[in-house]
Amino acid sequence: MTQRISKYQRFKMMNPILQFFKFIYLSIKIMIVVAGGHGGTRKAN
Amino acid sequence: MSKIVILGAGISGHVAASHLRRKLSKDHEVVVVSPNSNYQWIPSNIWVGIGRMKSKKILFPLAPLYKKKGIGYKQAKAVTFHPEGDKTEQKPYVLAEYVAGEKKGTQEKVTYDYLINATGPKLNFEATEGLIPGENKTYSVCTYTHADHAWHGLNEVIQQMKNGKKAKILIGTGHSKSTCQGAAFEYILNVEQELRRHNVRDMADITWISNEYQLGDFGMDGMLMSYGSMTMKSSEMVEMIFEDRDIKWITGAGVNKIEDGVAHYENLDGEYKTETYDFAMLIPVFSGHGFKAYDKNDNDITDKLFKGFMIVDADYTPKPYEQWSVQDWPETYQNPSYKNIFAPGIAFAPPHTISKPRESKNGKAIFPSPPRTGMPSGITAKLVADNIIDSIKSGKASLHHKGSMGNMGAACIASAGYGMTQGSGVSITTYPIVPDYEKYPKTQGRQLGKTFGEIGLAGHWLKLALHYAFIYKAKMRPFWWLIPE
Repeated sequence: MTQRISKYQRFKMMNPILQFFKFIYLSIKIMIVVAGGHGGTRKAN
Repeated sequence: MSKIVILGAGISGHVAASHLRRKLSKDHEVVVVSPNSNYQWIPSNIWVGIGRMKSKKILFPLAPLYKKKGIGYKQAKAVTFHPEGDKTEQKPYVLAEYVAGEKKGTQEKVTYDYLINATGPKLNFEATEGLIPGENKTYSVCTYTHADHAWHGLNEVIQQMKNGKKAKILIGTGHSKSTCQGAAFEYILNVEQELRRHNVRDMADITWISNEYQLGDFGMDGMLMSYGSMTMKSSEMVEMIFEDRDIKWITGAGVNKIEDGVAHYENLDGEYKTETYDFAMLIPVFSGHGFKAYDKNDNDITDKLFKGFMIVDADYTPKPYEQWSVQDWPETYQNPSYKNIFAPGIAFAPPHTISKPRESKNGKAIFPSPPRTGMPSGITAKLVADNIIDSIKSGKASLHHKGSMGNMGAACIASAGYGMTQGSGVSITTYPIVPDYEKYPKTQGRQLGKTFGEIGLAGHWLKLALHYAFIYKAKMRPFWWLIPE
């Protein structure tokens, strides 16, 4: 059965104060994933 | 002194040109050859397509910036590749044809020591009969001019709905092998929100049509991701959003023909169906530009350089899906035949798709091509530039910088509605982009935690912040290089 977005979840999703902190958290987390480096995958090259 | 020629001034070409210019002395020449006069920040086309952002906000002219920064610029399109030169020209060159100004129509041999092919994809609308932006009630948001037209088309339908006419809106992919489902996903959510803002949502039926086997595939075989305290499939997440927004969906659909207000498609069950609409935005299939290449004796060597897109250090050996591996994906984007040619971003030929290939009962291939969004385009362009810089500075070939899409993270901040207090965004990160089933066998090839999804207002702010940050970076304003790709 499809998961539904509850009223409480929606409140959290659209609350500017909660979302401000989420914005900071997401910015840092995304930076860690994306700027966290990249490289090859082959052992010998 | 070395001369580096970059074909294309999109995200990939522009990133390469700006890093090369910053790190190489003026003794070395950096030249950009692009038919486009403007740089455009493509991810914001979505907002142009709903009339919430003017196209001038997402673009700026290239010529003044390149002049100021000492980057050569030719507003021309590449015609043929000559990696060995020819009988009269010793150096390798690209034959380019000017598309504007006094030299319009004239051709020039643009010689190089290093060539970066960042020509991106051809938007192959012709591959689907009747899929023409602005005709047959179909639109596109692939360029800012297309997005402008899309907004005019959508606005007309909104006005009709305000006058009491019900409307059907169809958004998704316009070919059985299209990619860039993410852009269509953003657009459908933004359109839905705009209809609510205009108080006409109850007048519209909105339908998603896509070549994905399941919702949330995004050309990446879907994802298993962290969502809050849960672990969720991307298909479940997108289904939850579509249910919440009352958006219907058709998956496994290969659109093959467009008539005025009618999309014809074949599904994986082999059924031929149609879907009517009053407004459609359908992403075309991407293809290579059909460039030809010649050796010094004028023999056709296109096969050495191109396989649709440009051949790079990938493993192109045909093999079944079960044997695909992340090691097949390129690391340096260097052409194996001509070591001074590179193809980052969307210009390289992928070894295979990321999504599992599927066929309809009639044998028609219906599955997404691999996506290569702005972030990997920028990262691969920078690593190619860095390898060229190292090679020039050390005087010997260097391929120290590597970046396989199988060992690279990407963020997709999908706008789900515009507005500082009413907006929304679906923030998704994926690590790695190409699933590594050996390293992460129990989590569908991806690392949980680094692969996560979030929905909410913060996502809209994030996308807006990225819009301004990346345009600042592209304009090469002070300390632009501190902003990562």
